[in-house]
Amino acid sequence: MKFLRSPRATPYLLLLPAIVVILAVVLVPLLVSFWTSFTGYTLTKPATLFQFVGLRNYQRLLGNADFWWAFARTIMFITIALNLELVLGLGLALLINKITWGQRTLRTIMMFPMMFSPILVGFQFKYLFNDAVGLVNNALFDLGLIHEPIAWLVEAGLANFSIIFAEMWMSTSVFAILLLAGLMALPKEPIEAARVDGCNAWQVFRHITLPFLMPFIYIALTIRSLDVARAYDMVKIMTNGGPAQRTELLWTLMTRVGYQNSQMGMANAMGYISIIVSIAFTVFYYRKLTSARAFMGGAQ
Amino acid sequence: MSASLTMEKPWQRWLIRFGVFVAMVILVVPGAWVVLTAFRPNIEILARPAVWIPHQLTLRNFQGIFGLLTTQPGLPVVQYFINSLVISVTSTVVALAIGMMGGYAFARYRFRGKGALFLGFMLSRTVPGVALSLPLFIVWARIGLIDTELGLIIVYLAINVPFTIWLTDGFFRQIPVDLSEAAQIDGCTRWQAFWRVEFPLARAGLASAAIFAFLTSWNEFALASQLSRTTASKTLPVGLLDFTAQFNVDWAGMSALAVLIIIPALVLTFVVQKQLIAGLTFGGVKG
Amino acid sequence: MANVSLKKVVKRYGREEVVHGIDLEVAHNEFVVLVGPSGCGKSTTLRMVAGLEDISDGLIEIGGRVVNALPPRSRNISMVFQSYALYPHMTVRENLGFGLKIAKQSDSEIKKRVDEAADILGLEPYMERLPQHLSGGQRQRVAMGRAIVRNPDVFLFDEPLSNLDAKLRGQMRVEIKKLHQRVKTTVIYVTHDQVEAMTLADRIVIMRDGYVEQVGTPSDVFDRPANVFVAGFIGSPPMNLLDAVVASAGGRPVGRLIDGVDVPLPGDVAVREGQEIVIGFRPESFAPRGYSLHGAENSLAMTRPVLIAEPLGTETILFAELGGREVQGKMLNPRVVKAGETLEFTLDLARLHVFDKASGKSLRG
Ligand SMILES: Nc1ncnc2c1ncn2[C@@H]1O[C@H](COP(=O)(O)OP(=O)(O)OP(=O)(O)O)[C@@H](O)[C@H]1O
Ligand SMILES: [Mg+2]
Repeated sequence: MKFLRSPRATPYLLLLPAIVVILAVVLVPLLVSFWTSFTGYTLTKPATLFQFVGLRNYQRLLGNADFWWAFARTIMFITIALNLELVLGLGLALLINKITWGQRTLRTIMMFPMMFSPILVGFQFKYLFNDAVGLVNNALFDLGLIHEPIAWLVEAGLANFSIIFAEMWMSTSVFAILLLAGLMALPKEPIEAARVDGCNAWQVFRHITLPFLMPFIYIALTIRSLDVARAYDMVKIMTNGGPAQRTELLWTLMTRVGYQNSQMGMANAMGYISIIVSIAFTVFYYRKLTSARAFMGGAQ
Repeated sequence: MSASLTMEKPWQRWLIRFGVFVAMVILVVPGAWVVLTAFRPNIEILARPAVWIPHQLTLRNFQGIFGLLTTQPGLPVVQYFINSLVISVTSTVVALAIGMMGGYAFARYRFRGKGALFLGFMLSRTVPGVALSLPLFIVWARIGLIDTELGLIIVYLAINVPFTIWLTDGFFRQIPVDLSEAAQIDGCTRWQAFWRVEFPLARAGLASAAIFAFLTSWNEFALASQLSRTTASKTLPVGLLDFTAQFNVDWAGMSALAVLIIIPALVLTFVVQKQLIAGLTFGGVKG
Repeated sequence: MANVSLKKVVKRYGREEVVHGIDLEVAHNEFVVLVGPSGCGKSTTLRMVAGLEDISDGLIEIGGRVVNALPPRSRNISMVFQSYALYPHMTVRENLGFGLKIAKQSDSEIKKRVDEAADILGLEPYMERLPQHLSGGQRQRVAMGRAIVRNPDVFLFDEPLSNLDAKLRGQMRVEIKKLHQRVKTTVIYVTHDQVEAMTLADRIVIMRDGYVEQVGTPSDVFDRPANVFVAGFIGSPPMNLLDAVVASAGGRPVGRLIDGVDVPLPGDVAVREGQEIVIGFRPESFAPRGYSLHGAENSLAMTRPVLIAEPLGTETILFAELGGREVQGKMLNPRVVKAGETLEFTLDLARLHVFDKASGKSLRG
């Protein structure tokens, strides 16, 4: 009681509501799901919540090919998407940075995809890639490039391509905007000094611009890795993991197992694995960020 | 950077412009196509060969989803819209208040466990919505929060609070401590000093935090799709999926609904885009 | 009556103690300057008086009232920050009136007092501007205006001039002095610039590493530094300090320098033979014959080549070697001197300072 009135308590009191909310909505449910991942909990049979089965869910998962496919596809998806977005975003930022006229308008256009709900992005590309009425096929037809409709969202390779394309459409601009801000903050003197020292354009980029941008790059990667799982919404409406699990990701698989098959215990085990994957990516980039900052001369 | 432009040869300059043009086309066309579809009659959308230039524009698709046409049953779009608005606005306002308190604590006080707490908040944000939806479904079902607006509001609070803390921490740190101290010397209590000096100065930053929170709630699907069941709490993004349940995909209707979802986000974003970018960038760079 | 007294005031950050039991009495309307090298605890001490840092140990009284537990707003003080800390979202007028507004003064009263302060500081032309549209000197004035408007018992300044260029700093120093003569109040002023300290202070407090080294009037600390640290800190160019050992020559104690030169010690110092001491003399006391400040009776003459000559107009600083070190001398009403030229210097023995080497304390009675 005495502590609560002392000034030392102030920061804790300020943080209390935030802590309570996170406890109630994240931590407690996660504990519940941690427990259920060791039970044979099925939604339809409430009593099974207390049927402890040890590591059986995890064992089954690890021995299940569907799971491993989804797992591998998810890791691939995150890796490919984040890296491609980074490269394209960097390219776009460099291009726009060279343009002197209408930069603001360009930046505004780039914000466009960021406002789209992932579910809208999914719908949009489901429509565009539709084999019968989609813009893509229509264009290819009328240009005389194809004579049979291409089943973009059905054939395994194409379907995965379409999903990655949609994901990149949605998120490349996040990188572009952040890196553009970085480029604009780039001090001029080092570049001029490097020019005087005889560096060519590539060397200037490689030795001055890029190191300076590194913190921005890792911030962008950290922010993106935080919500890369939003791609679930997109996939859900585009293919829902199908057809025949050709585009199944961890996230779609777990909802199928949890809600459609009611195997909550199993789904939660998968949920835990997906959480660990997300945290791993975030922590990886965050650590890179801190070291990049330290490298930049301790700029906090 | 204008100095460097003079060093490019004309063909390089045109190549750069062409590259930017292609990128912008890719960014704009898909969305624009959906918007256009929302205003086209179904015959044109389904026409073979494709009709590129619309012959006529119509509002029928919107009338359709609002149930104003006798030919098809409407969706409770109005109710979805209201739900979305109530849920997003409430959770944004509350998340902002809670997050601002937290951000202020991190920016202004030293205390034990600070680093660990901050990390904890950020890690809570990494938990994918889908993965969280499973246990939340179990817990919310037990305490009767399934299919209620309150249930979703609370969930969105937890999603938005960490990011708000992160942003506001950055913004408050930008404001020199001296100012609050000067205000206290001038006779303010710490509370008055906050409201009269620090809060007005952080306002732009708080606005951007608010937009982020609003957009996140407004656009969220993974959790809403599991935690809502009926018109009592279904939001617009979940409503969009109503269409796919039907046998024939109603592209025109879905496009119309998509336009409804995007408009508020669009308006809001353009109004405050400057703060938005500031928020995105410096929370991390300087924070 | 607003005297300020610090009694055994201690400040700890965690386990680290940065201010070690300071005692200080500041009289009503007195202008006291805290001076010392960076990191010595000046700001910390001032901020404890202001109530911005809590006091780990000891007592602080303002006007006879213990204020340890009082928040800043209840201490009736005002403070000028190094960064000025002007409210960026308020105009100059609002900045000046903010404290009165918080104190719920009437609008007419606020206007009257703000205009009065603006008049004193010449701020009228800028009243409706935001701080970002003011020059450094103008901001500094606004910061001072904000402090005087509230008519406080005690003024606190934390290096208020250190962000100004040299010329402006000189002007503002004079203005602060005038201001103090006009609005008589108790002032505690922190600086690390000893010229500011000397020109402004009624009394100077010299601090080092969280301890008070000496308290005294400017002439006290200049003419009778209590220890080697104060001797070296106050005065510009700094006092020459040479290691020596006490010996006797002709029955009188002398300080024998490393190069064998014997410097006769004043009669009032208590030394014993063989004692290690530090001999100090200001550049003013070491001058070419005929160019010194105080005649040349009772002085030690020596011939030295000039290493470097720095002409400053009314005086020239000369560098020469003595006691194995480079020492500085001051030539008043100078003629042109070239490096390498050999001059006869006189060392004024009456103004010699002698310190014990081990303790650093002055040995003059
Ligand atoms: N919040 C803090 N935590 C730990 N140590 C601190 C803190 N604030 C100050 N110190 C330490 O206290 C000592 C005194 O600091 P203070 O700011 O009073 O110095 P100062 O004399 O004002 O120096 P300057 O002339 O540079 O302003 C310094 O060694 C500093 O590192
Ligand atoms: Mg200081």
